[in-house]
Amino acid sequence: MLLIALSAMAQSDSAFSLQGFGTLGVARTTTDNVEFVRDLSQPRGIGKEWSGLVDSVLGLQGSWHLDPQWDVVVQATSRYRYDQTFYPEIAWAYLKYDPTPNLSLRVGRLGTEFFMLADSRWVGYSFLTVRPPGDYFWYLPFYSIHGADAAIAVPLGENVLRAKAFYGRSNGQIPLADEQWDISGSPMVGGFLEYQLDAWQVRASYANIQFKHDLPISAVMQKIIGRGTTSAEAAFLATRNTRTHYYSVGVVYDQGPWQAQLMLNHIEQGSNALESSDGGYLLAGYRVDQVTPYLGYSWVRSRQDVKPLNSLAAYVMADSHSDQHTTFLGMRWDVAKNLALKAQWDAIRGDSTSIFPYRQDRRALWNGSMDVFTMTMDFVF
Amino acid sequence: MRGVRLFPFLAFCWLLMEPAAEVRAELVVVVNARCGVAAMTRNEVVNVFFGRNRQFFNGVEAQPVDMPDGHPDRARFYRALVGKEVSEVNAYWSRQVFSGRMQPPSKVNTTEDVVKWVTSHPGGIGFVDLSKADARVRVVFELTP
Repeated sequence: MLLIALSAMAQSDSAFSLQGFGTLGVARTTTDNVEFVRDLSQPRGIGKEWSGLVDSVLGLQGSWHLDPQWDVVVQATSRYRYDQTFYPEIAWAYLKYDPTPNLSLRVGRLGTEFFMLADSRWVGYSFLTVRPPGDYFWYLPFYSIHGADAAIAVPLGENVLRAKAFYGRSNGQIPLADEQWDISGSPMVGGFLEYQLDAWQVRASYANIQFKHDLPISAVMQKIIGRGTTSAEAAFLATRNTRTHYYSVGVVYDQGPWQAQLMLNHIEQGSNALESSDGGYLLAGYRVDQVTPYLGYSWVRSRQDVKPLNSLAAYVMADSHSDQHTTFLGMRWDVAKNLALKAQWDAIRGDSTSIFPYRQDRRALWNGSMDVFTMTMDFVF
Repeated sequence: MRGVRLFPFLAFCWLLMEPAAEVRAELVVVVNARCGVAAMTRNEVVNVFFGRNRQFFNGVEAQPVDMPDGHPDRARFYRALVGKEVSEVNAYWSRQVFSGRMQPPSKVNTTEDVVKWVTSHPGGIGFVDLSKADARVRVVFELTP
């Protein structure tokens, strides 16, 4: 149906534009006891060897501006994804209708903005750091929904109040060991309220997702300990029909050479298999000519809400534990038109039990601390 | 050779130190003379050019027009308006575009084209040198550098 719509629109007298973004990035850490990933959509990560795996991306967007009210947008991205390939996928594909200049309705495959900046996480050129702060973003592997959203802007004097609501069915796979957790079909609903006051932007957002499928725990445990889960264990660790709630508040200041952000989130998990958590970050940058040094601090801490059923359940629950903070220091250099070079150092300091954000952990050796060094070249065209 | 390279840098420093008004004419924000808007505040101009608000106070749709990166007025405009470099403005728009929220304003190449755009769109709004703002447009905001 979308194809028919697209071909019909391509024939009409409309403005078509093709634009793209990308990042070439290399990173390494100071340990081989865990693999560092950008977020949980990535099945493998990086260690002490320099690697371009986690941060490199190429995106292409075609947009048809049909008339002042109607747009069709299709965006494809290629990045390291759940099946260990860079196979390109359609990130978004939607029809947008603006009944009034300040009201926008979209339907199709949409990015979900359930945390501020969540729908532009891969557009490195658009932000200051080499990647969105990990302690805030890595447990958010959800990228798109099949559904609809509505966004409205209400001017209040010199200030602007914005609101957005979305509903849809999630789309995607989340890797777990060598298995996949199918999150497709899981209903997701959310929205935010945002107030823009001069250079200040304040936002509160909420979203929830009701999982349609269980984590592939049985298959994973079969490989680790040689047996699958019993029905009692499976019921205790079920994610199917459980609902996870995401709350966040954010404040952004952006004026002149200054950029500063403060974000806080709380995630309330409905399943015993995943621990609820609190996280946040602070980031400040100051531009001097074309160079912007920045400094940030982020943290995440999860807690066990229930007593594990037995040792197998305890093992699974420990897998979703995080307790760490990160100090990051870097520099963005806008070296040419639409091209930025960045370098960043992340000092991750945490408890040895903090393994949720990582892949291929050697729990006995991991002490919770590592440094990550990253260099990226971000561009738009 | 060294002196040749140093000259633009020194000239740039000199520009930074000199009050810009003495060096260049003033930039002003102009709208279509028939759109019913007489004056705007800095925040209102910012909201329109950054796509945060697409309507004037009287409900008329704002139709901003921008200039290409290479045009010196573009850099002057955003520096004077929000203290931002062109690269930062482009970064802002790349977030809006690739998150699927909105597309940036159209761009035209010359000041004369800006005036043409503003007069040919009912809610047209653009930035030009004060000397280019003739009777076809109305000055609603003056940028003090």
